[in-house]
Amino acid sequence: MRILIIEDDREAAGYIRKGLRESGHVVDHAADGEEALEMARASEYDILVVDRMLPKLDGLTVIETLRTENDRTPALILSALGEVDHRVEGLKAGGDDYLVKPYAFAELLARVEALARRRDPETVKTKLVVGDMEMDLLARTVVRGGEEIILQPREFRLLEFLMKHAGQVVTRTMLLEKVWDYHFDPQTNVIDVHISRLRSKIDKPFDQPILHTVRGAGYRLQA
Amino acid sequence: MARRLPAFLNTTAFRVTLLSAALLALSSLVILTFVYFASVGASLRRTDATVEEEIAVIENRVRNGGIDAVNRYILQRSVGGSDFLYLLVHPTGRRVSGNLSGLPEQEADEEGRLEFSYRRPPAGEEESEKDERLARGRLAPLPGGYAVFVGLDVEDEDRLVGGLLRAVLAASALALALGIASGIFISRRFARRLDAINSVARHVRAGDLRQRTPRTMTGDELDELSANFNAMLDRIEELMHRMKNVGDSIAHDLRSPLTRMRNRLDEALRDEGTDREATVAQAISDADELLRVFNAILSISRLESGDRRQKLEAIDPQAIAEDLAELYDPVCEDAGISFSSEIAEGCHIEGERDLVSQAIANLLDNAVKYTPAGGAIALRLRCRANGEVEFSVTDTGPGIPGADRIRVIQRFVRLDNSRSKPGSGLGLSLVKAIAEYHGARLELDDGPGTGPHGPGLRAALVFPAPN
Repeated sequence: MRILIIEDDREAAGYIRKGLRESGHVVDHAADGEEALEMARASEYDILVVDRMLPKLDGLTVIETLRTENDRTPALILSALGEVDHRVEGLKAGGDDYLVKPYAFAELLARVEALARRRDPETVKTKLVVGDMEMDLLARTVVRGGEEIILQPREFRLLEFLMKHAGQVVTRTMLLEKVWDYHFDPQTNVIDVHISRLRSKIDKPFDQPILHTVRGAGYRLQA
Repeated sequence: MARRLPAFLNTTAFRVTLLSAALLALSSLVILTFVYFASVGASLRRTDATVEEEIAVIENRVRNGGIDAVNRYILQRSVGGSDFLYLLVHPTGRRVSGNLSGLPEQEADEEGRLEFSYRRPPAGEEESEKDERLARGRLAPLPGGYAVFVGLDVEDEDRLVGGLLRAVLAASALALALGIASGIFISRRFARRLDAINSVARHVRAGDLRQRTPRTMTGDELDELSANFNAMLDRIEELMHRMKNVGDSIAHDLRSPLTRMRNRLDEALRDEGTDREATVAQAISDADELLRVFNAILSISRLESGDRRQKLEAIDPQAIAEDLAELYDPVCEDAGISFSSEIAEGCHIEGERDLVSQAIANLLDNAVKYTPAGGAIALRLRCRANGEVEFSVTDTGPGIPGADRIRVIQRFVRLDNSRSKPGSGLGLSLVKAIAEYHGARLELDDGPGTGPHGPGLRAALVFPAPN
């Protein structure tokens, strides 16, 4: 993927850039809002990683400007401001996801990859398939290896999110945000508990596990 | 100039009192002046009327007996010690008779009245009184070119009026003087009380936060100022204390994990034998924990600073409680704790869903952390009759002794027996900050009763009825 990092802190930018390159992405860097606009207009990117506070033109203005120019490139906003209303502001300005500093690199990578996937028009489907597991989004049913798996509504949403991001790392914070709509950090390992519940339903009866734990990052659903 | 005046003269109280005294003096001057002119006018009119009556008598005599009769009458009256002053004037201007020696060369006013000083003739009066006295009367023409002046002695009235005038001026001056005196008195009192407040302010500025201004308990505006001032100082002292406490706690709670992390990294750097990957992973998780503590401190500060950027919205407490019950039920089950929930329908509160959820999640986290396996946790949502909405989390853990309940809400306070458990010690203070942000309150009570581990804890968040 081609990724544009818009971040004035050189060290932070270097940290993200190195990590994303190691994950096989092509990365450009803009150090202020005006430079970012020029670069975003000049070439096609798959993802913008935008720091909220930038010299010359702030991050939200950069995104707003691109959106008025009909540029729909997914944008991940990075910010030290983490209140719910800051988030709302960011998403209103046209951002697609919001990550509060400081963050783990794994979190950033997971979100960048999730955002890139979102662009994929194939995601608008009524059926999700991962290996021998099939989810029918209309009938709200899950079948693995020909056997129907009975899930609670929240378990269904959890699995749906994992299946939509099959093959990608999904972090605990992402699950809390996207499945439960919580933007805080419970002290106990609530997500792990729910994942292990889900795992006991979708993996335990079968030989081949498809819900994997990625150490230090989160989970990945992969056949 | 103003700087060289005594301090109490340069006060608002003094200026205000002085101004009101001046206004008082001015208004008394105006009123008394009016009284003066009114009474003087009345007295003059009375004099003039009496004089006119006597002139009418004389004119009557002229008609009946001619000038001679008038002359006789005047002579007779003059000798008889009359109150009236007479002077019969010959057409040539010569004095004919009367108890006046002559008339001053003075123009009469438009009504023909004269007012002049005269010396009372010796007849019938004590010699001692040689002062000139004031006469007032009218020169009336008589047939044949004669004229008669009839007047009255108005010296006494004049003296009275003069006295009245002096009294008016004296009263005004007295009012002014009294005003100044009371101004000095009041402003001194005022200045003393303000001095007390100023002196406290100076002490506080110098760093002595324990100073408080004296209260008079009169409930007047200065007392109210003192009360507000003291309340402000209480708040500042509390904040300073809290800040110091936070400083100490940061030193205590953050320094040791930081030191641990540093040592581990240092060791891994020097010693080839250690599992570097595990060390780094441990260091990252240490750093994450530290960041969590910092985030909690930040959130609490933001909530406490009270800049509520947006109006609180109506949210559904039932949905919040149900979501959290669903989130924590399996957590409890895994920990061997039985979980139950009792969620009322149809309650309403105003707030931010994420914050309210976070507060209750914190209470549930605590309950899970402190309730031993085999215990029970209950999440309840109740709508009280007065419109208040209560979320409560009850557990069968050791509970919190009554004496510690206030302390435990303060930042970083962790009871000694809980130091071994993970956590920042910020959970309950964050809950309290969220509660206060919503105008709600956090109540801590004993739980369901004495279990094997203690009385348990009941933590309740009580939200006010929505507006």
